[in-house]
Amino acid sequence: METAVRIQNLSVIRDGNLILDKVSASVPLGSSTAIVGPNGAGKTTLLLALLGELQYQGTIQIGDATSGLRIAYVPQRLTFDRNMPLTVMEYMVLNMQRLPIFLWLRSTAKAKARELLGMVGMASMEKHKLGALSGGETQRLLLALALGEKPELLILDEPASGVDYQGEHVFCELLESQRKRWGFTQLMVSHDLATVTHHADHVICLNRKVAAEGKPREVLTPNNLAAVFGIHMGLVEQGSLNDDHSHCAHPQGEHKKSV
Amino acid sequence: MIIATVPIPKGSIKKVFDTIFILLSYLFPIEIMQYRFMQSALLGLILLAPMVALMGVQVVNFRLAFFTDAISHSAFTGIALGLILGINPQISIPVFGVLIGIGVMYGQRRSNLSHDAVIGVIFSAVVALGIAIVSREKNLARNVQRFMYGDILTINVEQLMAMGILLLVVMLFHLFSFNRLIALGINPVLAKAHRIKVDIYRYIFASLLALVVVYAVNAVGVFLVTALLIVPASAARNFASTAGAMVWWAILIALSSSIAGLLISSHPVINTATGATVVIVSFIWFGLSFLRGILRREK
Repeated sequence: METAVRIQNLSVIRDGNLILDKVSASVPLGSSTAIVGPNGAGKTTLLLALLGELQYQGTIQIGDATSGLRIAYVPQRLTFDRNMPLTVMEYMVLNMQRLPIFLWLRSTAKAKARELLGMVGMASMEKHKLGALSGGETQRLLLALALGEKPELLILDEPASGVDYQGEHVFCELLESQRKRWGFTQLMVSHDLATVTHHADHVICLNRKVAAEGKPREVLTPNNLAAVFGIHMGLVEQGSLNDDHSHCAHPQGEHKKSV
Repeated sequence: MIIATVPIPKGSIKKVFDTIFILLSYLFPIEIMQYRFMQSALLGLILLAPMVALMGVQVVNFRLAFFTDAISHSAFTGIALGLILGINPQISIPVFGVLIGIGVMYGQRRSNLSHDAVIGVIFSAVVALGIAIVSREKNLARNVQRFMYGDILTINVEQLMAMGILLLVVMLFHLFSFNRLIALGINPVLAKAHRIKVDIYRYIFASLLALVVVYAVNAVGVFLVTALLIVPASAARNFASTAGAMVWWAILIALSSSIAGLLISSHPVINTATGATVVIVSFIWFGLSFLRGILRREK
């Protein structure tokens, strides 16, 4: 399989602490790859290094030698002043037009924003304030924003954090349908094994170093999980794991295809 | 009666300013506004108001008030350094202000300290340097008092020209990059991932904010410069239902407060400092916006 991202001997030192130690891993092109590990394992640090936000040693190759991939990013959360009177439509349009939003929102930009909001089930929320959105709504909005970038590589940092079970399920279904539609490679950080086991088709187990990498069935074994998380994990039944395809499952175990 | 207290440059620039001053005297047909120094002060405030409104929107939305404070206090040291080094303070103040603005941004990017701590460290160092210089050079005290309270009534044509150019630059910058500034203020990592050159925008914004603050210090003094940026934008936020509307509200409030503040302060019965009066008027706007917010919530 072709590779979307190749990481070789990546080390990151922050404040004198070794956060990532000679990490080597790869993200197959077109895959839904999850990086799992306990808190403090360096998952978000790895993403920030991929996004060029941190200095590191080693190499990260995105795309092939001749051309990179168009990246979009869905952060864990937005930390901003929630009383700011920015509407969902204005936020969507920020990246779509140079013309400042206080002068005019172009009709082409608004139409594109409406189409993207429709894809994530937020068509009716364009006039809502950004600060008034719930965690799940914010994640869907960020996904719409990311899709507007027409990504070849979509990077998500803990997309399920701060979202309830139902919201997580909705987001998971949505992500899957959009990945099938657009064909992007997906790289997601998560410490939620329920999400990973049902959603990813490639897993990187990280705890400062790469403990294991491969298909979920091969990687999420009791021994590997015990090594990575430090305790016995009886949560993952081998029968529920994906081989080379992903699908969304209801967080309580019941599989649903539609929301 | 027109009293020419301000030196006017020769040639076409003189004609432009003469025309503007005549226009202002017609727009405000009251006796006090027939004085050239009042016309200059009014023009200075009209140039300043859109700048503080535009920059104030970003300052309020992204909590840069402390940064603004640090820059305003750097003007104090800029005066002192200019005077002891024999550099015109009109040059030393903005140059020093911009250097401090860029220094704070650089420190925040490179240091492990929190953003507030970085500003606090630089702020303290700058003020200490200024006090040290002033304590050694006793004849600087008069300039320091002007810096503390501001003095828009003594603004000269060279300063007005500089403010006009700065207004043009600030407006062009916002026309080009307002959307990007909002995006990077909300999440810089996301903005960078979506191909916005975050560092460049931050440094340009910090430099322009430093320049605007320095010119605002001339108008209202160091004590009130932060208020001049924050109060109109805060009131605008309470009135506005969108981020776009917030900008227009901020411009309206800053402009009306500036004009009303100048006229009220110059009334013989009132006779107060212009800068302080401008801020008081904008605070009245804020009070109204606050009341409106309460009434809206009760509905």
